[in-house]
Amino acid sequence: GLSSARAAEILARDGPNALTPPKATPEIVKFLRQMIGGFSILLWIGAGFSWISFGIQLSQGTDSAFDNLYLGVVLALVVILTGIFAYYQEAKSTNIMASFSKMIPQQALVLRDAEKKELPADQLVVGDIVEIKGGDRIPADIRLIFTQGCKVDNSSLTGESEPQSRSCDFTHENPLETRNIAFYSTTCVEGTATGIVINTGDRTIIGRIASLASGVGNEKTPIAIEIEHFVWLVAGVAISIGVLFFIISVSMRYKILDSIIFLIGIIVANVPEGLLATVTVSLSLTAKRMAKKNCLVKNLEAVETLGSTSIICSDKTGTLTQNRMTVAHLWFDNQIYSADTSEDQTTQPFDQSSPSWTALSKIVTLCNRAEFRPGQENLPIMKRVVVGDASETALLKFSEVILGDVMSIRAQNKKVAEIPFNSTNKFQLSIHETDDPHDKRFLLVMKGAPERILERCSTIMINGKEEPLDNEKAEAFQTAYMELGGMGERVLGFCHLYLPENEFPESFQFDTDSMNFPTSNLCFVGLLSMIDPPRSTVPDAVSKCRSAGIKVIMVTGDHPITAKAIAKSVGIISATSETVEDIAKRLNIPVEQVNRREATAAVVNGMELKDMSSEQLDAILREHAEIVFARTSPQQKLIIVEGCQRQGAVVAVTGDGVNDSPALKKADIGIAMGIAGSDAAKNAADMVLLDDNFASIVTGVEEGRLIFDNLKKTIAYTLTKNIAELCPFLIYIIASIPMPIGTITILFIDLGTDIIPSVALAYEKAESDIMNRRPRNKRKDRLVNHQLAVYSYLQIGIMQSVGAFVTYFTVYAEQGFLPSTLLGVRVNWENTNINDFEDSYGQQWTYYQRMYLQWTGYTAFFVSITIQQVADLIIRKTRRNSIFQQGLFRNKVIWVGIFSQIGIASILTYGLGHVTALNFTPLRFQYWFVAVPFAILIWVYDEIRKLLIRRYPGSWWDKNMYY
Amino acid sequence: GLILLFYLVFYGFLAALFTFTMWVMLQTLSSDIPKYRDRISSPGLMISPKPDTALEFYFNRSDSQSYSEYVTTLQNFLESYNDSKQSQNIDCTRGKIFDQSDAAVKKACRFNITELGQCSGKEDKNFGYSKGTPCVLVKMNRVIGLKPEGEPHIQCTPKEEGMVNINYFPPNGAMDLMYFPYYGKSLHAHYLQPLVAVQLAITPNGTKEEIAIECKILGSPNLKNQDDRDKFLGRIAFKVLMSE
Repeated sequence: GLSSARAAEILARDGPNALTPPKATPEIVKFLRQMIGGFSILLWIGAGFSWISFGIQLSQGTDSAFDNLYLGVVLALVVILTGIFAYYQEAKSTNIMASFSKMIPQQALVLRDAEKKELPADQLVVGDIVEIKGGDRIPADIRLIFTQGCKVDNSSLTGESEPQSRSCDFTHENPLETRNIAFYSTTCVEGTATGIVINTGDRTIIGRIASLASGVGNEKTPIAIEIEHFVWLVAGVAISIGVLFFIISVSMRYKILDSIIFLIGIIVANVPEGLLATVTVSLSLTAKRMAKKNCLVKNLEAVETLGSTSIICSDKTGTLTQNRMTVAHLWFDNQIYSADTSEDQTTQPFDQSSPSWTALSKIVTLCNRAEFRPGQENLPIMKRVVVGDASETALLKFSEVILGDVMSIRAQNKKVAEIPFNSTNKFQLSIHETDDPHDKRFLLVMKGAPERILERCSTIMINGKEEPLDNEKAEAFQTAYMELGGMGERVLGFCHLYLPENEFPESFQFDTDSMNFPTSNLCFVGLLSMIDPPRSTVPDAVSKCRSAGIKVIMVTGDHPITAKAIAKSVGIISATSETVEDIAKRLNIPVEQVNRREATAAVVNGMELKDMSSEQLDAILREHAEIVFARTSPQQKLIIVEGCQRQGAVVAVTGDGVNDSPALKKADIGIAMGIAGSDAAKNAADMVLLDDNFASIVTGVEEGRLIFDNLKKTIAYTLTKNIAELCPFLIYIIASIPMPIGTITILFIDLGTDIIPSVALAYEKAESDIMNRRPRNKRKDRLVNHQLAVYSYLQIGIMQSVGAFVTYFTVYAEQGFLPSTLLGVRVNWENTNINDFEDSYGQQWTYYQRMYLQWTGYTAFFVSITIQQVADLIIRKTRRNSIFQQGLFRNKVIWVGIFSQIGIASILTYGLGHVTALNFTPLRFQYWFVAVPFAILIWVYDEIRKLLIRRYPGSWWDKNMYY
Repeated sequence: GLILLFYLVFYGFLAALFTFTMWVMLQTLSSDIPKYRDRISSPGLMISPKPDTALEFYFNRSDSQSYSEYVTTLQNFLESYNDSKQSQNIDCTRGKIFDQSDAAVKKACRFNITELGQCSGKEDKNFGYSKGTPCVLVKMNRVIGLKPEGEPHIQCTPKEEGMVNINYFPPNGAMDLMYFPYYGKSLHAHYLQPLVAVQLAITPNGTKEEIAIECKILGSPNLKNQDDRDKFLGRIAFKVLMSE
């Protein structure tokens, strides 16, 4: 091997043997992005204006100059705190993933300085000689120089699930094909090998693919686009109203400085400061809920992407299927029996009374080398670990389920000779003593490829009796074999022979090399067919997808027949639909003559896909509702994903191998398998499926759709009160009344009373079966559509404003200022030198007394908005259904929200009512109820709106009022 | 079209609802006294004349133009205290609260302008501004139902001694209890609030100097004069700068 010194030199030259992690955005950039993203810019502008007016007022020596300084500081604090919050939320969800990639450091057995050493795999360098054995992960790309029964599992690289044998022979020019190279990150399944490291780190085949994946651009998630759209909308409203009223106030001869202060107020009133934080919290709540359902979301926004998914490209093995061979059908006595293939089978229901079955079961039990690992007696049979290949495992479990303790049966039928399966004779044979002490004959049992087995038989067992194998019976066999094979199942034939006692006495020495025993003229007993069966939850999940308008496309490396059979059994290809080939077969015409439009299903072979232009692929994706791609390489997955995206679909893709990572990255949402998935796949994916189960994707879709609906509700709820915050400024400017609400007070609504209720809407249950809707159209179904904005702003918002103004006028009138007195008083009202300001009753007020009254007005306005927001919260629970259909008390969190809202308002009013800086004052109890009739009106009005929407779907009302 | 109609009806309804609730609310109010007076439990002090800018008097005693505005203000202010305007007012018992809560028609007490002595404008049309003894009238804000206790009187103190001598009219700056309580604009139409004239006799030392003066209401336990936030509650501060 290399000397340590030389190895260190090379290590210094090439770097460690590890994949460079994808370039992460520096934390500080992420943080700054939160600081200036969304509404933050607007608030910074507000803060800037505050400081400018502070500067001007300070130089003019105005007393109240510091108010503006504080306001600016508060606005800046709001931005910074919400920024920190959003950053923290994002970091928290990213951390879940970071734990994934932190794996136990891999060790490698290396020959260094002529000694075998255990070294961390990242210390390997080119030229090192490493030893590997069954169960190891290959630590680098290595060329093998010595092998012993070595098999590697290249599935993470090529998608082929069958282990491939490796030797020292150079068999192919292509490094991926040749037998003497083992690749980094694949696993050695059995045997041992020694090899020379030829590539390390990013220069390995896997490394190259991984860097290819990081080259595929990350596109904006649908929800990010929606939120951006919404921010633009609100910012547009804020800026245009702000500028409009700036112009109005300037032309009304307000001082420029005052106009700027109005502008700040209008911006603050318009911007829902707490909303983006609320959205983040809602998304992370959903992410948590999804994690419980085995969908681990890496990127918060992916939560919703899953909900808008319109095509799912799913792997077959492990995702749709159980990833375990299971006996599906049996054929004996000229009859096909179906076996139970569910995950937790404990018995088999088919008829087991026939003596043929007894014979067959004996062969199945005895002619099998697989064994359970010891110490698993308490586990369910299907969960036990077996040493042996997939088919033998299936047979072992099958017989264990039916017959019970297989190992003791084998012990009673002692094995005296055995020929293991090999690819030349394609059968497996063993000879046993029988468990009947009076029967001294030996029993020869054999299983293998059905046609080969049949060749060796001259009789066939029917109902326990040997009958000659005539043409008719051979034909019956052929039909059964074809039928089972046509279902995509792997079929095995079983036969036996009791060796005559006179020829083979008890002491007979069997020699497997010279085969001193008959291997022909045997008695055929039956067929067993196996398949990797679909997971039992999958058919239901697929039909849910179907009703949810999501197209499920199967992409697999498997044989088309198997793929189609599984697709049929899980419903990806429905029972009634036909492929072009099916139609051709039914009508007995050549494939070319079939009208392609009649075929709803299509099974596309990877070989055909290779020669297809992208237009042809588009045509297939467009014309067929049910598509299976078989024999595809992971690279072709990327092509399929791109094809789907060209249709305008939001595509979810599952994958586990390293080669899947470009497709996972390219897809709108890449879903990696948590159990079978490679690290590279998990890195490239947006979501990790902890149980590898397709059904979990569907529950994820459901959650994603729900959160989209609920975010709509949250936004509608939040936007509504913005009008009630904005109107005071507008009326203040136009009618010159005393200021109804302060900027700080607005912040207390936006970031105080409203936060918990808007998060509570994220817990709202779906109104109807959201899985019966089509996926949302990215271009048409916006998160914030104009109906939502108009209904919130121009209807409920205005109602709230009216209610709040009634409270405001009531407070002033009951203290002596009738509404008529208030109009136009602004200039004198705010003049600090007027300390004998006369009210409607002839009383005189000092400036401070007026200000105190003004703050009472703020508090009253604030309380009214809060009370009406309770009604707003209740009506936002549903968009179409009546609240009474939805259940007023089903979502308990809503009530937490309502109580928190009233609680916070009470604390602000009565607890902090004496802190003048906050501009709250204690408020008479009855003012809390002035807005209650308006709150009730809001509720009643919204119920009427929903009733009309339900009664007259598609009407003018529905079109304009449903958001 | 339909949208416009809808909003017309919608906003029409809201406007009607607003008007109706406001009307209902106003019906619950009395036209005589406001429902609550807790925000003005203690009255503020104010002076007349009140300079436009801050409460700072700048004038030249020899330039009548420089103080004419103050003089006019005072004259106008005292207009309503003329005897001719007080014909319906009655002479009340001095030193006693004039409680008329049972009376349907509230009478106003006569405030005899001569009580303001040299500051009444009768003897000196210029209220002393030309002589270096400018007058400032101190009044207390009207608050309905307020009944001062004790013997309220105004006392003014200059910040620095020796620049100004202060005389009060009526003597001691007393505010007579008979002017209280006030019953509000509609019931008590002819009410005149009591005045205290403060004559600032500026000494030669004080000429050309800015003199800061603070006046307070004293002698009544229920009239506050020391509030940290409200600088006008029971007190008032102003500055005088007289040149020659």
